[in-house]
Amino acid sequence: MNVRDQHAPQFGSPPPAPRRRRFLVASGVAALALTAGLAAAPAAPAAPAEAPAQQAEANANTKAKADGKTLTVALAQSVDSLSPFLAQRLVSTSIHRLMYEYLTNYDPKDNKTIPGFATEWKSSPDKLTWTYTIRDDSKWSDGKQATAKDAAFTFNKMMTDENAAQANGSFVANFKKVTAPSDTELVIELKEPQATMTSLDVPIVPEHIWKDVKDYSKFNNDEKFPIVGNGPFVLTDYKTDQYVKLKANKEFWRGAPKFDELVFRTYKDQDAAVAALKKGEVSFVAGAPALTPAQAASLKGEKNIKVNEGPGRRFFAIATNPGAQTKDGKKFGDGHPALLDQKVRQALFLSVDRKTIVDKVFQGHAVEGEGYIPPRFESYFWKPEGDQKLAYDPEKAAKLLDEAGYPMKGDKRVGKDGKPLDFRILCHATDPNDKAIGKYLKEWWGDLGIGLEVQCLDDVSVPWYAGEYDLAFDGWSVNPDPDFVLGIHTCAALPEKAKESAATDNFICDKKFDELYKKQLAEYDAAKRAATVKEMQSWLYDSGYMNVIAYPNAVEAYRTDQIKSIKTMPEASGNIYGQDGYWSWWSAEPASAGSGGSGSGDGGDDGGSTGIVIGVIAGVLVLGGAAFFLSRRRAATADDRE
Amino acid sequence: MTAEPPITGETPLTTEPSAPAGPLAEKAATAKSPRALKAARMRRSLARFWKEYRTHRSGLWGLAALILIALIAICAPLLVGADSESVTDAPGQAMEDPSGEFPLGTDQFGRSVLALLVWGSRVSLTVGLLAAFLCVAIGTVVGIVAGHFRGWYATVLMRVTDWFLVMPTLVLAIALATVMDRSMWTVILAIGITTWPTTARLVRAQTLAVESRPYIERARALGGGHGHIMLRHVLPNVMPLVLAQTTLVISSAILTESTLAFLGLSDPTVTSWGGMLQDAREAGAVSAGHWWYLAPPGLAIALVALAFTLCGRAVESVLNPRLGVAR
Repeated sequence: MNVRDQHAPQFGSPPPAPRRRRFLVASGVAALALTAGLAAAPAAPAAPAEAPAQQAEANANTKAKADGKTLTVALAQSVDSLSPFLAQRLVSTSIHRLMYEYLTNYDPKDNKTIPGFATEWKSSPDKLTWTYTIRDDSKWSDGKQATAKDAAFTFNKMMTDENAAQANGSFVANFKKVTAPSDTELVIELKEPQATMTSLDVPIVPEHIWKDVKDYSKFNNDEKFPIVGNGPFVLTDYKTDQYVKLKANKEFWRGAPKFDELVFRTYKDQDAAVAALKKGEVSFVAGAPALTPAQAASLKGEKNIKVNEGPGRRFFAIATNPGAQTKDGKKFGDGHPALLDQKVRQALFLSVDRKTIVDKVFQGHAVEGEGYIPPRFESYFWKPEGDQKLAYDPEKAAKLLDEAGYPMKGDKRVGKDGKPLDFRILCHATDPNDKAIGKYLKEWWGDLGIGLEVQCLDDVSVPWYAGEYDLAFDGWSVNPDPDFVLGIHTCAALPEKAKESAATDNFICDKKFDELYKKQLAEYDAAKRAATVKEMQSWLYDSGYMNVIAYPNAVEAYRTDQIKSIKTMPEASGNIYGQDGYWSWWSAEPASAGSGGSGSGDGGDDGGSTGIVIGVIAGVLVLGGAAFFLSRRRAATADDRE
Repeated sequence: MTAEPPITGETPLTTEPSAPAGPLAEKAATAKSPRALKAARMRRSLARFWKEYRTHRSGLWGLAALILIALIAICAPLLVGADSESVTDAPGQAMEDPSGEFPLGTDQFGRSVLALLVWGSRVSLTVGLLAAFLCVAIGTVVGIVAGHFRGWYATVLMRVTDWFLVMPTLVLAIALATVMDRSMWTVILAIGITTWPTTARLVRAQTLAVESRPYIERARALGGGHGHIMLRHVLPNVMPLVLAQTTLVISSAILTESTLAFLGLSDPTVTSWGGMLQDAREAGAVSAGHWWYLAPPGLAIALVALAFTLCGRAVESVLNPRLGVAR
């Protein structure tokens, strides 16, 4: 499953922060009441001032109780498609984890493969035939039994219909034949051995619903609600850019989720989402991609709110355009020719101080970048040692640029053609980190004599697919199985036609990398496969095509008076939103009504007393102002009279 | 050929050409060369303009504020140091509270917010001035041409103007800024292109009024061509109006620039007040309650816009007494 989050969520105009409103209304009412009361009788004001505050408190209490069994999650990303055959964004693939079953799942403790829709699996001695035993206790939400035939249908559809292979086609490219001899047996025959057979991240869809779909490239699975599925939750409602509602599947074989309803609500503005969390309107805020340090710091001080920080599964990198080309080698795009020189690419990376970026931009909420795969996936993690490491060294970078034929002339590096070395970098206008790092790069590279233009766009995919960029900020969420994030750099992922969307990330196409990719895919021995994967990362590191700067942490927050407990993945220290599996939402336990009520009651009290204080101050100010003007007027009229 | 002073009996909209009023002045002027005469007339009208302007107290306040802000913008490198925009040499920690060293705290890069505020004035003023100039230039050309040439030519021009007039300015500016590269010049262009129709309409009305005066007919009878009439007779007469309009447009241009920068449509590596607000929002200053980061750029925008508006209003009422005395 690919979890492309390089199309970062978009911020729109900020909706008004809802938190303040009640205070304002309360204080306004209180101020009015106060002035009216003072004018009428000196004893009256206390009572009317308190009334609205109490009302506010009562509102807060009823709200908390009504929400008791609903878990509301504030998200920034919007759903691209609800069809498992099209969805690429993290939010959509996370929802598919809840709606459908996958053949296998990952253990939340250590990312090891555990049974999912299949209970057992084995491969033939020649490694080319895999037999899965499908569980018999899983039912579709419309009552029909979920069987191996549904799984066979899903895979066959992806193999025969190009439109159904858009999102996860790479998993089935090597499949020869998929059959279901019985309801509980699935047989997959391969052309070549394939190591990802126990981590096929493909949602299994019900055949009786999907066989009538005509055009898989247009069907977004959002027409008939509830959508038939067999995961821990059933999707009941969806409004584009507003919300996705799911209700618990009480018959889920692993056990029913503890919350009755799960709502993913879209907040385009992260500050608004944080305000909603503080107020108790939402139970959980998933940062986009993380809460900012200032937000996390302000939430840490709040009562009943827990900030969860764990190592992320993303890497954050600077990609360099290696010369965009199609599968048959036709060049297109307008990448800078200087970037075809490995020395230039390495010089760029040598002059990036990763430590400063982690300290200043991420303010410690990230780990300095090394290899391609984040350290969280220990078995595949690789880092450069000794001479191979391109540590921050601007002098060496300058030397490399001199060698590459770009000497300093004045304060600019000039190539043989007499043109100064000026690059563009594609940045996501919606990601503050991109812009912030862009500022640093501009100064570091400026010192080196390289010009940089930071091109921030809401939708970077247009110039990206067209190959019209020199450098770009890039980032992917990595799965426990690294096949997908490695596969996007192979020649096979290149587009058929110029400017077409394709699986490729950065138009990399190299014979050696492809050979290694094939080798790791065919390797069933875990240790040997890991060694090959590390070799691939080493090649990628030296190439300078993908320069990993940091692994940002997942920083997210939830209300402890609404969620009693929730599983992170990995369990010891990990993320909650965007897991490889349904563990967090499936395991989330609602806080008992008592604690929730009292928690919100406290909030209400605070709000009430703040309201009173503001009300009193406002009342005094209004009265003072009125008195001032009255006295002025009297003085004036007295003057006039004289 | 010297421009004949227009008959200012019914519409005293202009001051400059109506300068040589009394017979005494005319007598004295005959002795001098036309150039000296023109300079003297100019001086006199400027002096009278200033005398009139001085009586508008709010206009003086606006002017004082403008001079102060302009001085701050010009002297920014001396006041706060040339490298205060640099993120790599940032002196402080990220998001610090106000202190003696950083009176308004620091931003997410550890740069002083006060220093950024001073630097931001440069971009905001430059963009505001250039955009207003562009807007008024387009408006004046279109207005004079549409007022001078009647018939289908003018009709087409005015329909185009109407079309731009009914387009929501901000939406059009956002669309333009999105399509083009993100740079300061894009923002200037986007504002200039979207705000000219009002000026065009004003200038056209004034052109029609000027062209209906008899001296224009005389100039035409003496063989004055289109260019001559538009440049030598109409333009000087609409200039005062254009000037007043410019000062008013500047404040709205600065506001639009800030809006676009706040929406993230400006060059992210350039510090402007709107961009600072955007940075503050992205850093989460709103939910963290860092008002010292959020409020100053907003107040600065309001202050500059107010100053220009005050000046504009004062200039307008000096040049057009019919507006009444709003001091």
